[in-house]
Amino acid sequence: MNIGVFVCHCGSNIAGTVDTVAVAKAALAYPEVVFATDTMYACSEPGQAGIIEAVQKYELDGVVVASCTPRMHEATFRRTVERAGLNRYMFEMANIREHVSWIGKDKDANTNKAAELVHIAVEKLRRNTELTAGEFTINKRVMVIGGGVAGIQAALDCADGGLEVVLVEREPSIGGKMSKLDKTFPTVDCSSCILGPRMVDIAQNPNITLYTLSEVESVDGFVGNFDVKVRRKAAYVDWTLCTGCGECAAKCPSKKTPDRFNEFIGKTTAINIPFPQAIPKKASINAAACLMLTKGKCGACVKACPAGAIQFKQEDEIVTEQVGAVIVATGYDLFDFTQYGEYGGGRYPDVITSMQYERLLSASGPTEGHIKRPSDGKEPKDIVFIQCVGSRDKSIGRPYCSGFCCMYTAKQTILTKDHLPESQSYVFYMDIRSPGKGYDEFIRRAMEEYGARYIRGRVSAIQPKNGRYLIKGVNTLMGDQVEIEADLVVLAVGAEAAKGAPQLAEKLRISYDTYGFYMEGHPKLKPVETNTAGIYLAGSCQGPKDIPSSVAQGGAAASKVLGLFSKDKLASDPQVSSVSLQRCIGCAKCQSVCPFGAIEMTQFRGMTKASVIATVCQGCGNCTSACPQGAIQLSHFTDNQILAEVHALCPY
Amino acid sequence: MGSQLEDLKTAIRQALPDLDVVIAWAAGPDGLAHTPLFITSESDVDLVQWDPRCSQNLAGYLPGLRGKKVGIVAKGCDARSITELLQEKLIDREQLTVFGLHCQGALDPEKIAAMADCGRYVRSAEINGGELKIVSSKGACAISLENGLLAKCFRCTGADAQPCDQFIGEHGAPPVLKDAPATTLDRLEAMSMEERFQFWEEQMGQCIRCYACRSACPLCVCQDHCAAQSREPHWVDQTDHPREKLMFQAMHALHTAGRCTECGECERACPVGLPIMTMKQALNRQIKALFDYEAGLDSEKTPPLFQFRENEEHIKERKW
Ligand SMILES: Cc1cc2nc3c(=O)[nH]c(=O)nc-3n(C[C@H](O)[C@H](O)[C@H](O)COP(=O)(O)OP(=O)(O)OC[C@H]3O[C@@H](n4cnc5c(N)ncnc54)[C@H](O)[C@@H]3O)c2cc1C
Ligand code: SF4
Ligand code: SF4
Ligand code: SF4
Ligand code: SF4
Repeated sequence: MNIGVFVCHCGSNIAGTVDTVAVAKAALAYPEVVFATDTMYACSEPGQAGIIEAVQKYELDGVVVASCTPRMHEATFRRTVERAGLNRYMFEMANIREHVSWIGKDKDANTNKAAELVHIAVEKLRRNTELTAGEFTINKRVMVIGGGVAGIQAALDCADGGLEVVLVEREPSIGGKMSKLDKTFPTVDCSSCILGPRMVDIAQNPNITLYTLSEVESVDGFVGNFDVKVRRKAAYVDWTLCTGCGECAAKCPSKKTPDRFNEFIGKTTAINIPFPQAIPKKASINAAACLMLTKGKCGACVKACPAGAIQFKQEDEIVTEQVGAVIVATGYDLFDFTQYGEYGGGRYPDVITSMQYERLLSASGPTEGHIKRPSDGKEPKDIVFIQCVGSRDKSIGRPYCSGFCCMYTAKQTILTKDHLPESQSYVFYMDIRSPGKGYDEFIRRAMEEYGARYIRGRVSAIQPKNGRYLIKGVNTLMGDQVEIEADLVVLAVGAEAAKGAPQLAEKLRISYDTYGFYMEGHPKLKPVETNTAGIYLAGSCQGPKDIPSSVAQGGAAASKVLGLFSKDKLASDPQVSSVSLQRCIGCAKCQSVCPFGAIEMTQFRGMTKASVIATVCQGCGNCTSACPQGAIQLSHFTDNQILAEVHALCPY
Repeated sequence: MGSQLEDLKTAIRQALPDLDVVIAWAAGPDGLAHTPLFITSESDVDLVQWDPRCSQNLAGYLPGLRGKKVGIVAKGCDARSITELLQEKLIDREQLTVFGLHCQGALDPEKIAAMADCGRYVRSAEINGGELKIVSSKGACAISLENGLLAKCFRCTGADAQPCDQFIGEHGAPPVLKDAPATTLDRLEAMSMEERFQFWEEQMGQCIRCYACRSACPLCVCQDHCAAQSREPHWVDQTDHPREKLMFQAMHALHTAGRCTECGECERACPVGLPIMTMKQALNRQIKALFDYEAGLDSEKTPPLFQFRENEEHIKERKW
């Protein structure tokens, strides 16, 4: 083998603390290295041309570039060697920038280390083999999980792009949190008026299949060829017959059912349509509250339903959908503030969450848009808003900022003044974070035009006092204690990962952070991708996001899927594992550790053997470390290659 | 103990028609240790032995007999190996019949041979009361059973075999023994890194690389495919150097990490008497600390290193 080594200066990034000429000289002593040189910018056009020229002139079979991280330029140089006529896998990169020049000042030590890293790369390259990618066909259908505003946008954009879309939502209606909001910042336009038409579009688009009251049961397969099982939970109503007239709900005697859609402010019936604009506009029964399903007698809805749609015997149904890509848009849930003793721990009826307040403000809410105290139905005069409840608090494991609470609190003070001109709003805040377009102006308006009194500081206690509440806190700007009497307290509860988010991630084999938010492929360059091919993210499932950002991500995820589906076949990565039939003893240890389900146990001449499904394998290498005798090897990272690297570094 | 042996024989006789083979113990050549017995016909049953000389863990034969209907006689500690094999799905529960025993300790043949002061060539030995009476080329001597027990018996956590299809005799607590000998691990932990390295260099210098330890290990299921003898991948070479031998032992230890039940077969088999189970014990401690897991106790559990989890309960990668 003829190996060429190129040691990059990266301007002064590397050459500043590494003697690149000496490294190139040292490389000439390594086995099979026939050519070595230093180069100013290996990735630049002249740099790449130099590599191609050397490959041809010295009849190189493999190339080592010592420069930056492979994350940066591995793909670049693989294309370079390919243009020079070599197989793209006959290339190795030694990272002498992030791993050497940027982290050490001692030039001699750096030069030594760089030379050793080149040595390692040479030893690995000597054992590289030519690899070629395979091809496989893809199914151009897409599944969107979660029908909040982000999922709705993604589904509509995909459908408009001509794709068949399956939208899966676990609640009876799509719409997500936005369907519960009254008005939206920073324009204060009506939430249902802008979201409603989008929801109707979903129902009417012939390319979209909608499953509500449904959850993903399991996911098999890989990019281009996923098999997703969806559990359609029993609604106890035949939706092909239900016309959404609402007669059933009017007659249901179980009128004290907790109202999920209205955030448990107010009651509803056991059978209901969650809100007037619900999509699909179909009734469903809350089994825990239904007298027929719990006690075996009632059936008022059966008599009331003109379509004969009620079916107490309905059971969950599992449907399997084949799709080529999945967009996850499962949103967020709200922090449970009752763990804070200082806010009453849930004991005071007039200490409510911001989302409950949205329902009080909403004309379609339980009070028809009149702001009334839950305890006595009276209009409040003084209202205290407390920000950062369950955000930016390390002590409860929520160190992050929920992003939208400053803005919606300002919105709520404005709406409060519109509803109750005599009222006074007070806002306790830590900092104001309003970096969006028109956002800071919006906060200013709340303060200056709507007279909201902003107090920088935390609240230490809320105490009931003569039918009102005494809120004790500090004003850190003035450096003194404050006490405010109020009729109603609204807690700006922070966002947390949607319930069940980690479990869904495990089914989808995507990663999530400590809080349960899904991990994007790269924080800057791959915001809507995941590290699992074919699975994309949109909206606040990736981290708290307001509506404009959620919608933008919905569109971005859709465009990624459309891009993926613009090809009929995908190339499979050849850096995958494979099993040596002679050595495999069929112990299935590889199978048990594979995070991607890429290993099947098969029969070969009466013996059990492992077999890797190349298109599913992500090349993580877990199996190779679990296999006791090395029967399963990851191409391009074989045990022998790694051992050769170790021996290069630790000779004896 | 006589009646327990008779009950065992009866149980085996009754079960034998439905089984392809039953693995038990029979008298060994010198009377110091019993050897494995593979029962396929009724007449074999008369040979069965059960007393403290049944030291060998028979579970290691099970994976090789997969597909057959096998009966096996097991002490409390042997059953942990069976459980581990079941956990790893290397054997099938339906195919297996376990004759479980309550054990009062098993003898260490090495230790006995060293203690016997009546010559090297043992002619016969028999157990009588609390003693092992030995007749050798040069005369006769007696050894107290308690002094000749295996080191593991001093740390026994369950003398009754579990899992078990037929329990023979009375259930009971582990033997109550005084003066547990200090383990090699205890001694090593008191040493500095350099001393430990020196210790292993010396020990490994004596290893003859016979692979008896590996062959005796009930969990070394690769056997002929062992990575120690392969060039593809080429983890260890054949150089006669402590380095390569240590590498082989490190491999055995890592491959049994979180699986080893500390049955001691590896050490018992070693012709040179090297304390190689120590490495596995050290790793088991780590596994216990990291995963709160001990091998071979619960056939429903998946061993921690044979599963993939996003986050481990006991490992906090992130401090916030
Ligand atoms: C009180 C309050 C007021 C707000 N006001 C504003 C505002 O004025 N302007 C603004 O821009 N933003 C506002 N926001 C933020 C806004 O709610 C979010 O930006 C927006 O809802 C994010 O949309 P999403 O689709 O990402 O998530 P969501 O709205 O949470 O939608 C996620 C959907 O996925 C479904 N789902 C979850 N898990 C699963 C699963 N496993 N399977 C199937 N389906 C699942 C959920 O049921 C839900 O329908 C406010 C937030 C709060 C709390
Ligand atoms: S490398 Fe092994 S463990 Fe990783 S995905 Fe491929 S088959 Fe699974
Ligand atoms: S771990 Fe190794 S030996 Fe066991 S089944 Fe997998 S490839 Fe075969
Ligand atoms: S490594 Fe030794 S002690 Fe552990 S299971 Fe194997 S033989 Fe028994
Ligand atoms: S049994 Fe003893 S001598 Fe033989 S390979 Fe194992 S440690 Fe070495």
